[in-house]
Parts: sequence; C-alpha cells; structure tokens
Amino acid sequence: MDAPPPSSRLQSILQEAVQSVQWTYSLFWQICPQQGILIWGDGYYNGAIKTRKTVQPMEVSAEEASLQRSQQLRELYESLSAGETNQPTRRPSAALSPEDLTESEWFYLMCVSFSFPSGVGLPGKAYARQQHVWLTGANEVDSKTFSRAILAKSAHIQTVVCIPFLDGVVELGTTEKVPEDLALVQHVKSLFIDDHQGHLHPPKPALSEHSTSNPDTSSCHLRFHSQPMSPMCAAVNDDPPVNANQGEDDDEEEDDDDDDEEQDQSDSEAETGRNSRQGAADQIPEAVVPPVPEPSELMQLDMSEDIRLGSPDDGSNNLDSDFHLLAVSQGVNPADDQQQRGDSHRAESSRTWPMALQEPVMIGSSLQLPPSGSGQIPPEEELTPEDTHYSQTISTILQKQPTRWAESSYVTYSSTQSAFAKWTDRSDHFLAVPVPVEGTSQWVLKYVLFTVPYLHSKYRDENSPKLGDVGGDPASRFRKGTGTPQDEMSANHVLAERRRREKLNERFIILRSLVPFVTKMDKASILGDTIEYVKQLRKKIQDLESRNINNQILEGDQRSRSADGSKDQRVLDRNARVGSGKRKLRKVEGSGGGAKPKSVDSPPPPVATSVQVSIIESDALVELQCGNKEGLLLDIMQMLRELLIEVTAVQSFLTNGVFTAQLRAKVKDNVNGKKASIVEVKRAINQIIPQYVN
Amino acid sequence: MENSSQESHLRSENSVTHESPYPLYAMAVCGQRIAVGSFIEDYTNRVDVVSFEPESLSIKTHPSLSFDHPYPPTKLMFDPNSSSRKSSSNRHLLASSGDFLRLWDVGDSSIEPVAVLNNSKSSEFCAPLTSFDWNEIEPKRIGTCSIDTTCTIWDIEKGVVETQLIAHDKEVYDICWGEARVFASVSADGSVRIFDLRDKEHSTIIYESPQPDTPLLRLAWNKQDLRYMATILMDSNKVVILDIRSPTLPVAELERHRACVNAIAWAPQSRRHICSVGDDSQAFIWELPLPPVAGPNGIDPMSMYSAGSEINQLQWSPAQPDWLAIAFSNKMQLLKV
Repeated sequence: MDAPPPSSRLQSILQEAVQSVQWTYSLFWQICPQQGILIWGDGYYNGAIKTRKTVQPMEVSAEEASLQRSQQLRELYESLSAGETNQPTRRPSAALSPEDLTESEWFYLMCVSFSFPSGVGLPGKAYARQQHVWLTGANEVDSKTFSRAILAKSAHIQTVVCIPFLDGVVELGTTEKVPEDLALVQHVKSLFIDDHQGHLHPPKPALSEHSTSNPDTSSCHLRFHSQPMSPMCAAVNDDPPVNANQGEDDDEEEDDDDDDEEQDQSDSEAETGRNSRQGAADQIPEAVVPPVPEPSELMQLDMSEDIRLGSPDDGSNNLDSDFHLLAVSQGVNPADDQQQRGDSHRAESSRTWPMALQEPVMIGSSLQLPPSGSGQIPPEEELTPEDTHYSQTISTILQKQPTRWAESSYVTYSSTQSAFAKWTDRSDHFLAVPVPVEGTSQWVLKYVLFTVPYLHSKYRDENSPKLGDVGGDPASRFRKGTGTPQDEMSANHVLAERRRREKLNERFIILRSLVPFVTKMDKASILGDTIEYVKQLRKKIQDLESRNINNQILEGDQRSRSADGSKDQRVLDRNARVGSGKRKLRKVEGSGGGAKPKSVDSPPPPVATSVQVSIIESDALVELQCGNKEGLLLDIMQMLRELLIEVTAVQSFLTNGVFTAQLRAKVKDNVNGKKASIVEVKRAINQIIPQYVN
Repeated sequence: MENSSQESHLRSENSVTHESPYPLYAMAVCGQRIAVGSFIEDYTNRVDVVSFEPESLSIKTHPSLSFDHPYPPTKLMFDPNSSSRKSSSNRHLLASSGDFLRLWDVGDSSIEPVAVLNNSKSSEFCAPLTSFDWNEIEPKRIGTCSIDTTCTIWDIEKGVVETQLIAHDKEVYDICWGEARVFASVSADGSVRIFDLRDKEHSTIIYESPQPDTPLLRLAWNKQDLRYMATILMDSNKVVILDIRSPTLPVAELERHRACVNAIAWAPQSRRHICSVGDDSQAFIWELPLPPVAGPNGIDPMSMYSAGSEINQLQWSPAQPDWLAIAFSNKMQLLKV
C-alpha cells in the first residue's frame, strides 16, 4: 500500500471538507492507473484524539493539531507496516504508538491498508458508478457489505459516504448517524471540483471541534483484504469532548509496543467484534498528557495483537448483522439507487435541507454545516424524505452533465462584429436610457403575467366563447385592460365574489317570493319586509297557539263549527318555495271562525287572486295564483314577452280550478335602457287574469 | 418563401431590426424563422412568422404566415426538435400559451391550427396559462403553468394530460425543464421549486425570494450546465443565479442593470454565458466565473447593447446561436453576439 506522499493541497481540501461538515475523517482513495485499483491517497483525521505528541510542546491550533495528528497517524501506519508491529526504535520520538490512539483513530489508521478494485467495496462502487455511495449504520453491517465493518463497529463509525471523482474517491466518515444528505455530498464535491478548477478556497476550519473519543474496545483484528473493500475510515465516538485547541502534547511517551499493552476493556461493544476479540486495552498511565485534561476513559485503548497490516491473505468475514446500505446497488441504473435510498432508514439526527435562510449552504465556499444531531435542528424535520427525493432528482439531472461539460467548449463572445460593446460602468452610457417612471417597471412582463390571464378569465365569463375559437371576434364589449396588475391579481377573488353575488341575488329572489307584501325591490326593503313578515308570522303562531289552547278548552263548543271549515275563512295557499313547491306555507287569514288549522286543507272554492312580482337586476320572478281560464299561461307569457321579459322557467299547476304558477325570467332593457318595473308587470298581469275575488 | 413581400427591417452590420405594426412581446426562434406575438391590450392579437435571411441580413414578412390570438400570447415556442434540425423541412410546430396551450403547424405558406389543449374536465375552460416549456429530451412533453397554482404536463402526441400538479401556493409564472422528467417552476409565492415526475408527491424549494412573497417572474435553466439556473424577481434589477445543489442561497446575483430585468436567457452553446435585458433598455451578456461565485464587488457584464427603449423579450436559440433576439416596443431585433 504505497500511498503517495500527501500533497498539501489535497490534504487541505480534505481538511476543509471534513471540518466544514464536522465529520470524523476524510480520505482520498486514489486510482492507480496501472492496476486500476483505489489506494489510499491522503486523509485528514478530524476526530477524537487520545493523546498528543508533538515535538514542540507549544500551543497549536486545533487545525494544526489535527493536521499533525493526521501526519502522525500516517507515520505510525508506515512504521507499523514496515514490518514488525513492534519497532519502536525506528520511530521518532514524537511518533505515536498504537496505544495512543482512539478507536476512531485506529479505524482511520487501518484504512491506509485497504485498497479497492473498481466496483468493489464502497469506494470501488462509488468509483465504478461515478455516483456517491452513502452508508449509514456502518458499524452494524456485515463485513461483506462493508469490509471495514468490524473496525467501524469498534470505532463507532456510523456513517460513511464515498464520493467519486475523476481520479479517485473521497470518503468521509463520522461517528454520528447521518441520513443521506445530498447537500453535504454536493458541498464536498464542490470543494474538490472547485479545486480542480483552480478555485481552491482556503480552508476554513471549524474552530472548536468537539470531537470525542470513546473508550471502546477496539477490535483491530481485522485481516484486511487488500482488495475488495469499501472505503470508510476513521471513527470518532461521542463522549467526553476533547477540545482540540488544547492540544498541547507531551511527547514523553514513546510507547512503542503496540501489542503489549492489552487490557481487556470489554465494553458493551466488545462482543461485537467477535473474532477480533482480543481487545487488550491498556490503561497507559504514561500516555496521559498532563496538560490535556482528558477524561480518563480516553486512555483506555484496546489493541489487538494480530493486526497484520497490509497482509492480503486474511479475509475478514464476520458479523452478519443488519445494515443499511444506501445507494449501493449493483445496477448502475439510477432507479435502483433511488429505490434503495428510498428504503434507507433515517437516523434520528437527520440532517435535512437547510431550507431556512439562516443556514447558508454555499457551493464554492467553505461551509459549516451544523453537526448532525446537534441542537441546530433543521427547520423542517419532516422534509427528510425529500432529501432522498431531491438527491435522486439531482443525480438524475447531473448524471448527464459530465459528458455535457466535457463537450461544451468555452465559447467566447468577443467577435468584433458583435452588436455588443464591451461593458463599462461609465454612467454616460446610461444617460440616454429612459429611466422608467416609478411603478411602471417590468410593465409589459407584469401585464403578460398578471393581467392577461385574468383577461381570459373575464372574457370567458362575459362571452362564453366556444372552445377553439382561434382568434374569435374581437371583444368589443371588453373594456381595454387598464387595470393595474394589482387589480388583476385579485381577479380570482373577483370571480369568486361574482359567484357569491349571483347566489345572493338568487336567494333574495327566493326570499322575495316567500314574503307576500314586499313592495320595493331593493335588498334592504326585501330584508326589512321579511323581518316584518317573520314578526307577523311569529305573532300569528302565538295567536294560533293560544287559540289552540282555547280550542282545547272550548273543544266541545267548537266542534260543530270546525266541521265546516270553509265557512268564513279565507285561505291563501301559497307556494312557499320557489322551484320546489313541496313545502307549503299556509297563511290563514280571517280569524272569524277560530277553526283548527288543519281544516285549511279542505279545498276552498273561492280563489284569492294573488300576484307577486320580483325583479332584482335582470332576474325576475312572477308568482301568481288565480282562477283558471283557457290559455292563461300562454297569455301571461306573451304579455311578459311584450314587456321584454324573457321567461326562462315555468312551473304551474291547476288544482280545482285554481291556477298557480311561478315564472322565472330575465328582464331586458328596452330602447330607453330601462327595464320593466314591477308595477307595470303587475298591472299587466292583473289585466289578464280572471278577477273574481271574493 | 414565395409569399414573401416587403422587407421591413433596418440594416446594419451586426444587427437586423424588424418593425411590426404593433408592440411585440412573445417571440420564438427556430432556425431562420421567428415568430413574434403582438402585445395589444385587447382581445385581438396576432402572431406573425417572419424569416431571417442571414445572407442579406434582412427580415422578410409573410402575410399568410400569421394568425389571430386572443389577447397577447404569454409565450411562443417552436418544437425544440425542429429548431435543432436546422429546418430541413419548412414545417414547424409552434406552441402558444394564453387561454389555452395551442399548437400550430407553420408551413411554407400557411399556418394551420393543430390542437387546442384544454385540461379542464369540469368546464370547457382551463385556467389561463402564464408560460410553458417544451421538453427537449422528450419533445412530446410540454409543461404549462397557470395562475391556478398548477403545472400541467401534456403529452401532445396524444393530446392528453400526463399529469397535473399543484405546484405552488400562488400563481405559477414560469416553468422550465431540466431533464426528461424534471422541471422547475417559479411563482408569485416567491419560490423556485423542482419537481420530479417520478415522485409527484414531493417538490423541493431551492430558492425563496428574500422578501417574502416577492413574486419570481421568469426562470431559465442553464441547458449547458444543469447545475445552474437563473430567475428574476418582481421589481428587481437582479438576475439571481442558483445552484440546484445548494438550495436556499443564490450563488451569485447579477445586479448591474439600472432598472428592472425583464428577461433572461442562457447561451445555447456555452455554460458560462447568460444574457439579460431590462427596463434600462440594456442587454447585457455576462460571463460567469466558474464556479459562478461573485467577488466582493459583484460580477460585471462582459458586454452590453443599448436598445431604444425597455427591452421586454429575449431569445437565444440553439438553432441560431450567433444571433440573439430581443423585443422592445414594436421592434424585434436580432443582434450578433
């Protein structure tokens, strides 16, 4: 596993990437053109640190400390892989020894030993497919799925993402459980792409890293397949936060023997690493660096004795457990990926799209995503499913892009024949520019968007044109659209309001038909008369009720009279409801007899003639009841027509010689622009109907 | 073009002007054919198809290539396939939006209505359309957007609605395809949303106007680099450049117009160039840095052109990439870029 020497630029991007998202580590798997396999290129460890060793015990920034740590880890790896695991003497004094490491550091360290053919392992898959692979629950999957699963388990690495680039794969891992987050992927991509474009942004490290380490058993007994694995590395556990800023390290200890100190710190996790279960965790007192107040647990380190670095012979195969592998599907078909992503479970600490403005995600500049699971709850937790949805969408869109980008040449538009002149900011260019009057900006655009659609609506309302009257007759009636956009914006409401008004008018007509003595046709009068009418009715009910009581008292006396209900009683039977005629309102007039209301039903030969006319705007309602005569209905309609009242609906019936009719009609303007009045209509009707009023 | 009659143009080396009897708004370019829609504040409007003669730098009108349109068409667009074919045949499908989505067959000497697409099941009217976009990858697919907050996806071959989505909270003003099944839309609710037809339940807001409910009026997706799209706001001189990968914050805002921006168009053959026109009667071509991140002083246009009055329309067709079409007052002008 010869990794190329760390290029400082690559490292700085890796650093920026991992720090900006506050994950545990970042790695770059570099493609070896000859063998076509991905090998460790570089990495940056951003996680918990157990002990520090520096050559100069001076205060270093968190960033420097982390950087240093990454280098130290690499040195350690090299020394370890150089042959024996115990080669203390060959290492510089400041070097780390295995017991200095946290589990996540171990994970990171071990990653150096992996390599992946294209298509194998997470990095290999990501690279072969040129699509990122997101794995959550990396510490729970089996080794077939994630070759570093056991390491991940001990290191509590839960989430790993591999992002392909042209010349390799960037891998990031964290001890948090983070659901797939396309923004993060895109962010990382942008960092690298930008770099490729020569727009490298200076890294903006997170200043305080509360990475923590966990006193777990590190089961380092993995035999590494040198071949098929997916890239994932370092893990950090959250526990006591170690402020990296305090990274003053003493170098006192050069403990070299990695393997000697084995103390079994069987933690709850110990059982997870089955075959690697020889976690000897050592409490290394010397390792405690005095100036760094680290929790004591940090010093517990489990080391496995049989780490064989770089030995390709041993396969790791163990731990079948549930796992959630996102977007790792065999098919290159994006649909497969989508499906898988759709199935992925979501961790509690899901990071959703930062929809709110206060969460800026800027491509091309360094970005500080809130640590997942931190107090910065994304504003719309429920949007989580959309992440997946949107990431699928984005990947669909961008899938074709690489080719397109490659094709698209940089067209330059600088031909001398161009109608365009070089831009200058000199204001004299603008002197001739008509400054739009306030309020007229984007006038045409606004008119097209805000007004024209409502013109169509209005036009339809008023003209009801048939479909497809392409370029039909000009709407001469239609006034020129001079309304302001704001007016037109509310046209929807206007439509609704119009419907409401029509309904209201309809109801007024009905109400008008219910009330026998409405004189004026304006709505206030109708309402006023109705109120009056209801009062009367109420009074009548009271009267009738009291009379009823009287009747009961006087029942004996009354019986004979009530048998002859028609005696001195005038009954006006009116159809109470327009259009239905089912409900009858009975108005009993004349109190002479004190008959029971029931008796009303008996047919009264004398017909009370009643004519009611309502006209509201252009709607008219005529109700009449009278004695019948031949051709009466026709005569009435003809008469109405002469008055320019177009009957639209008629309901009439004849009972015992009593003609009852309701006519609904539209009233048109006469030549003088006036409509027939109620009085006119009434008079005309009265001239037609037979008048034998009792 | 046997029926070509008079030439109505003003000539110069690098621009051609067509003067119409009426103000112009909608415009579509297809090879050498240009459809222009009148902007008359009345029911009677017209769409004329004129032809551009690059050799003689002239524009010919064809009185027979014209049809009435109720009110000004809100958008005109030629079949993207025929426009990319560089007009081997002279028959082109033209779509217009307004009360309905209408399809027209533009032939040599006549224009025949092909279809009137109405998606309303309940009444004979669908809600009026503010804009539409023809899917380049799937040319049988047209997406329309409406004041009734919906977007409708048509299969124009079958003449049926593929799907209708309630896209926004308010009127939808523009729609733009990014891929065969992915489109974006802008609305009076001030948001840019991306839709994927494979999952119609969800849409993703990738931008919201800074002032709540400031309508977004137009949208343009960079077909050469689908990561980026541009939108314009009501009463704003800004062109907002968005990166679909990073929702919420625009990657850049182009704010050199002295007045409001009316139209935007990405260059058909370059990822980096975008044109914008505005009420300041300026047309700017911008060359965006890669990535399009603005420096502290913002981004300056690369070049500029001054028209006589407010420029209302802009088209930069892949079929005629060297010429950019603008419309102002009653003029349509082709500008060499």
